[in-house]
This record gives sequence, structure tokens and C-alpha cells, in this order.
Amino acid sequence: MFQASGLADKAVIITGGTRGIGRASVELFAAEGADVTFFFRQSQALANELVAAGRAVKQRITADQVDVRDGKACEAAVERMVSRCGRIDVLVNNSGVIRDNLLGLLEDDDVKTVLDTNVVGIFNVTRAVVTHMISHRAGKIINVSSVAGEKGGRGQTNYAASKGAINAFTRALAVELAPRGITVNAVAPGVIETDMSRDLLEQAPDEVKSRILLRRVGMPREVAYAIMFLASKYADYITGQILHVDGGFKME
Amino acid sequence: MQSSYDTISKDEVMEVYPKVAETIAEALGRDLDDVKLTAPLMEGLDAESIDFLDIVFRLERQFKVKIPRGKIAEDARGTLSEEEFEQKGYLTEAGLKRLQEHLSEVSPERFRSPIKARDIPRLFTVETFCKLVVRAQKQATKSPDG
Repeated sequence: MFQASGLADKAVIITGGTRGIGRASVELFAAEGADVTFFFRQSQALANELVAAGRAVKQRITADQVDVRDGKACEAAVERMVSRCGRIDVLVNNSGVIRDNLLGLLEDDDVKTVLDTNVVGIFNVTRAVVTHMISHRAGKIINVSSVAGEKGGRGQTNYAASKGAINAFTRALAVELAPRGITVNAVAPGVIETDMSRDLLEQAPDEVKSRILLRRVGMPREVAYAIMFLASKYADYITGQILHVDGGFKME
Repeated sequence: MQSSYDTISKDEVMEVYPKVAETIAEALGRDLDDVKLTAPLMEGLDAESIDFLDIVFRLERQFKVKIPRGKIAEDARGTLSEEEFEQKGYLTEAGLKRLQEHLSEVSPERFRSPIKARDIPRLFTVETFCKLVVRAQKQATKSPDG
């Protein structure tokens, strides 16, 4: 018998919500009837636009400016969200940055910024959220990883290390939270048409596509569907998994 | 200062006990009657370490106090340094003595040496959590900003 996704009225946090996969996720969850709060760091104009677009069609979308590298700020933002919604049902850890370069050419800041945002950021937000989920004995956490977390890519040591860390974090946290009925999974997108992969696609579009079995890059929405699946009732029996959304990506 | 901060009267404990018991019963899904003041959380009420996080969090909300996570271990050590308190994961003699003073609510026969530092929470009783709340309340009065 058909069962609805169960996402209507769920209280959802999505980090890095103004662009790419984050934005597509905000739009999809809101369209499902969820009460979505997204974190953003810089793009106030894009955030306003997203909130206004949702409001125009009576969707519940709230923006909160938070730098995920700041633990105290994450805690405060999560408290604001809980005082508004009363709980947190779903957390999508999506914020991430990329600073590709050959290892020998990476600056200290390239390493620090990527690890602080992509890894420490997940610790900060998730730590603030889990206590609420533990008390409710329910919750779904979805981390946005990358194909780079498992397959090597030139000039991506910092980014790959951060995404590999996310995969390990996902598996370990799944073990820790399973007794409280909280699932923790990740999606690992391949090459997706976003600002983050623009350079790569401009430089070598054919080479990139030749490595993808489906012979095309993915759309942010296609990753958001996977995130939504893992956040829905349909995935109640899935935890500790890394779901690859990469069109069948090959890399030597 | 350490000793006045450390000394908590039975009256102070009993004042918070009803709400603490209610909170613990709710977090562990137990009957309120099971949550006696002397009940050990892990061995008596089947709590797991993750429940401690839940209980502390619920107590913070219930009593509107802040219980910093590192504070519990810090309070247990008192004025002893980490090295004086534990060696290679086990409590030193001084550490054990200090812990016994700090957890005066725990019956002496439960302090069987050697005790691993990571097993200290096994000793916690419902009263330990009452004292934690009273201490956090006192701390809040001392420094309203945190």
C-alpha cells in the first residue's frame, strides 16, 4: 500500500542552503510541506530570494546566517530553530567549500578553510542538533559527501580528505545514535552542475562526461531527491550508508 | 571556595529531587517510583552512556541552567590535577579518595579499587544528578552570564 514520504510538517535544517544541492534540497523539502530552516554564510540576497519565493507559494522557509565553523553560533542557531519549531526531525549537513590545487601548491588557508568548513562544521552543527534528536528518540541526519571521498582526484587532497572524513563520521555516528532510533547516512554526489564544479566543467567537459556511465553531469535536484529519500519514511531501515549519486562515476 | 561549592546540603538535594526524578524517569522510560534517590543510573536503572547526555540536556531545560559537558569530570577531580587524579586510565589512591568525597552519596562499598576513570559514571546515582543541578544553580547565581 502506498505510504506518503512523511516529510510534511517535519522540522528540517539544511546547511549551505543558498546554492546548488543545498538550494535544491531547501526547495524540495519545502515543496513536500516540511518546515525548512536553512543556514547560509554570505549570500544574504540569495537567501532573501529563496525565502520570498517560498513565502509566495505559502511554503515554510526560514533563513539563518550562520558560519558553521563557529560552534557557539551553530548552537545558538539550533536553539533559535528549536524555539520556533519545538523540535528537529531532519538535519542535512550540506555546507562545503572547495579549494583545489596540487598538494605542493596548497596554502595553509586552503587546507584549513576546507577542513574547518567541511569537517569541523559538521561536528558543530550535528553536536548542537543531536541532543534534541536523542531526547525525541527519532531523527534523520544526512551528510553531503562526495565521490572525492572514495576516489582519488588530482588537486583534491584537501577536499578528498574532508569528504573521506565525512564518510567515516557518518558510519561512526550511525553506530552511536542507532540505539536512539536516529539514522545517519550520506549522499556522495559525483559531478553535479553547480558553482562548485563550474571550473571543472568549463575546462574539460568531454573528459568529465567520458568518466560518467550515464554520459552527463547530474543536476542538483537529482542529489536532493536522494537526500529527501534518506530523510523520508522510505529510508527508516537504512543507516550508516553512503549513497552514491554520480551517474556511475569511473576514475582511475 | 572549593569546599563551599562542593558541600551540598540534603535540603538542597531534596528541593530539586522531585523534578530531577521526573526528568530521569521520562528520559529512561521508567516508572517514577523506580527513580529512588539512591538508585544507581547504570546498574539500577539500565541507563547507557548516551542516556547521560539526554538526562543532562533535559535537566538543563527543566531547571534553566547550563551544565558544561567537561564540568562533570572537572568537578569530580576537584583541586587535583589530571595526573594526580588518574594514571594510565585508572584512578590513583588520591583520586579515589577525592572521588569518594565528591560522590558522598554513593555507598562506600561501590568504590572498589582499581576504578577506571571512564567507569566513574557507573557510580552515579539519582542523587549525583540532583547535586549536579544544585551546583549548576549555585554557579548561575555566582556568575549570571554563564
